[in-house]
Amino acid sequence: MRHLAGVLVIVGMIGLAGAAPRAQGRGGAGGQALTPKAAAPFDLTGYWAAVVTRDWRFRMVVPPKGDYAGVPLNAAARKIADAWDPARDEEPCRSYGAANIMRVPGRLHITWQDDQTLKIDIDAGMQTRVFAFSSRPAGGGWQGASTAQWEVIPGLRGQRTLTGSLKVVTTNLKPGYLRTNGVPYSARTTLTEYFDRITQPNGDAHLIITTTIEDPEYLTQPYMYSTHFKLQADATGWAPRSCSAR
Amino acid sequence: MTPNSGGRTLRPFMRTSARGAVLLAGLLVLGATLTGQNAGTPSGPGLDLAGYWSAVFHQDAGLATGGGMIGDYGGIPLNEAGRIYALSWDASRMTVRQQQCPGYVIPYFYFAPQSFRFWEERDPSTQELFAIKMYTQTSEQTRTIWMDGRAHPPAYAPHSWTGFATGAWAGHILKVHTTHLKRAWLRVNGVPQSDAATVDEYFTRHGDRITYVSVVTDPVYLAEPWIRSADFVRAPRDPASWLYACDDAEQIVGRPDDVIPSHLFGQNPYLREYAELRQVPLLGALGGPETTRPEFMATLATAKETDALPRLRPATGASRASVVPDPDPRDGEIHVWPVQGNVYMLVGDGGNIAVQIGDQGVLVVDTGAGRLTEKVVAAIRRLSPKPIQFIVNTSFHPEHTGGNSALRAAGRDPSVIGSFFSTQFADAGRGATIIAHVNVQNRMSAPAGQPAPTPPEGWPSDTYVQGRRRKYHNGEAVEIWHRPQASTDGDSFVQFRRSDVIVTGDLFTTTQYPFIDVKNGGSVQGLIQALNDILDRTVYRAQEEGGTMIIPGRGRVTDEWELAEYRDMIVIVRDRVQAMITAKATLEQVKAAHLTVDYDTRFGATSGPWTTEMFVEAIYTSLTQPPPLTPGAR
Repeated sequence: MRHLAGVLVIVGMIGLAGAAPRAQGRGGAGGQALTPKAAAPFDLTGYWAAVVTRDWRFRMVVPPKGDYAGVPLNAAARKIADAWDPARDEEPCRSYGAANIMRVPGRLHITWQDDQTLKIDIDAGMQTRVFAFSSRPAGGGWQGASTAQWEVIPGLRGQRTLTGSLKVVTTNLKPGYLRTNGVPYSARTTLTEYFDRITQPNGDAHLIITTTIEDPEYLTQPYMYSTHFKLQADATGWAPRSCSAR
Repeated sequence: MTPNSGGRTLRPFMRTSARGAVLLAGLLVLGATLTGQNAGTPSGPGLDLAGYWSAVFHQDAGLATGGGMIGDYGGIPLNEAGRIYALSWDASRMTVRQQQCPGYVIPYFYFAPQSFRFWEERDPSTQELFAIKMYTQTSEQTRTIWMDGRAHPPAYAPHSWTGFATGAWAGHILKVHTTHLKRAWLRVNGVPQSDAATVDEYFTRHGDRITYVSVVTDPVYLAEPWIRSADFVRAPRDPASWLYACDDAEQIVGRPDDVIPSHLFGQNPYLREYAELRQVPLLGALGGPETTRPEFMATLATAKETDALPRLRPATGASRASVVPDPDPRDGEIHVWPVQGNVYMLVGDGGNIAVQIGDQGVLVVDTGAGRLTEKVVAAIRRLSPKPIQFIVNTSFHPEHTGGNSALRAAGRDPSVIGSFFSTQFADAGRGATIIAHVNVQNRMSAPAGQPAPTPPEGWPSDTYVQGRRRKYHNGEAVEIWHRPQASTDGDSFVQFRRSDVIVTGDLFTTTQYPFIDVKNGGSVQGLIQALNDILDRTVYRAQEEGGTMIIPGRGRVTDEWELAEYRDMIVIVRDRVQAMITAKATLEQVKAAHLTVDYDTRFGATSGPWTTEMFVEAIYTSLTQPPPLTPGAR
């Protein structure tokens, strides 16, 4: 019995060890749990401009039909992409869904909608993503429903420094395009993103978004990319504009 | 990610029993999994990056595996020099011997098709992390990221493909700063990266995936820092393919060694292939900082071919000077760099000084400008208690002979003392013996009765007239090769065969365009030939790195890669000048054509003793009034 009690104590400690990082926040441990806004290990808010240096030709112009290099499409998806006809593509927002919106050249305006909800307004396509720090997010449409959580690592050896990432999982998406030339994703898509902030020696701050797209309907394996945005001092360049298929 | 505090918090419980410890370990894994953090056990203040990792090629498909098409520069913040360099680049350049087996430089390293093995190096006594190492599959390279806070080497230290990297944890992100990179390619379609580039990197781990961010700062070829990201996934097992079997060979049999393929301005026949195939406006394909901004989409939507045409050639206006600092500290001190074997480089008194030490006595190649001679002698004394026995001059130029008199006086040549020379000359052996080609002596001295440009105490006393002077000294063969009509008519380079070091004098510098002293017998043809002669005697250790080390007349220590690149530059500029001469251009027209625009930010000068204009004029003069062929010239 004594052994069993010891094991139960250990199990309890393990649970705490696993849960503690999420409960702790910038304000430190102890006392009542902090809100997600107060617990943020880094500041995401502000205006961020895309720096388009990867997948440039897929993002800055509409690629030719059938140019889906790099996307692990299955045969069904390739058939759809090969049949894409821009003249008949009447829904201009298909490539502005959550699975591609961060790749569309533009700017982000990130704010806290409330203590539990982070909001990203995107000037390209005038889209808005809402990240709820709860297990049951509401939402759908192009931006789906997003659940957010801080993945926090406390400092070592008594150091109070906190670090970590914002993890966001998005589901319930309206089918759209991974690329503007008709490369499809389905409603069964799950989008997992990690948001990290880096600061360069010259003081420039960048938001790094690590993205994994899983789509059992159209992808043969998880589709991975990462995207970067540079922090701006103000709203310079903020230019809300409608979706465009061209 | 596993919280770093877990193991520490639970440590007291680990003493309960061995069974409990096993159970605890299992529960730790379970606990980590339950929290959605399935990374390996963390080590150090950051995350554990150790293991096998494979690059994911979902981004920029085709760029990594194919190196990119000619004319695919969109999203790269190239400045004018970088763009013109890339436009002039001919894929046939890769047939040149030194271009066949280069390693991957850090800005390309993680974007190439390869797997990686990461591991930690820890002090066995303290278990402090002092380095993270990374080995790459395709290029057979090991990279070291020093985690112990050490300083970066001085600017005159050699550069390498992986450079010198120091890292630190910024929370869960590994930050790395890299300097001392070799000149290389940002993209293997001719987009250049200079040896002044530095890289700031950020490694972040999310489960079994690493997000890698690279920010390249290159004042020579980029208008602003270039940020990119890449993704790696953990490989479940050893890729079992870690070697890179590459040896260079003759790709084009019979091609003269002064042929370096390149395109003249505006004459790249493959320029539009990418733009047309990918349906990208040419203006965007040519890159530039503006192409990385969201608002450039609107520019592209209305871009016309004519908008791009001015960017295919150098802009008019004043030429630019080098933006790369001189690696000479210029602090009034002499700095010593151990090059290899018995050979050291002394930096600080104008031209570089090479010192070979050993049992017999000190052999010095060149003596600097003579402004810090006492400190030069003191530095040599610290390297060896033996006398300065021989001095070799590679040139008569004052930056290489300025310290002759003083160094000679500080030394002695025991091989002469007691020989028959002693019976003829009272001062035989009192002072070091100065060896040089006879033309060096001729230009430092003067016929009897005429004033000499330099004091006689510094004149070479042991001269040669043929192409090769040889000597076995300090246990190794030392060969002195005269190269006629190069920088002057009296240049030599010195090869230490066992130490495997070559001292080039004015034939090669890392700081400026070559000094082609036409009025003293120099010529661009002779210079190119001299550089090729040096390359005939160099061997790299692996991937165009190491092996024979080179001490240039000025600047930092290199290996053959940098010298080959320097040779390529001179050939390319020569060909541009020759094309204009063939088209009946005048010297003024040649000077106004900015034929060096893609090299000026690295080597150019708009003032001082050797300007870009002087360099171009020297080539023009060499080609229009070639010097008469002298023995030894080909």
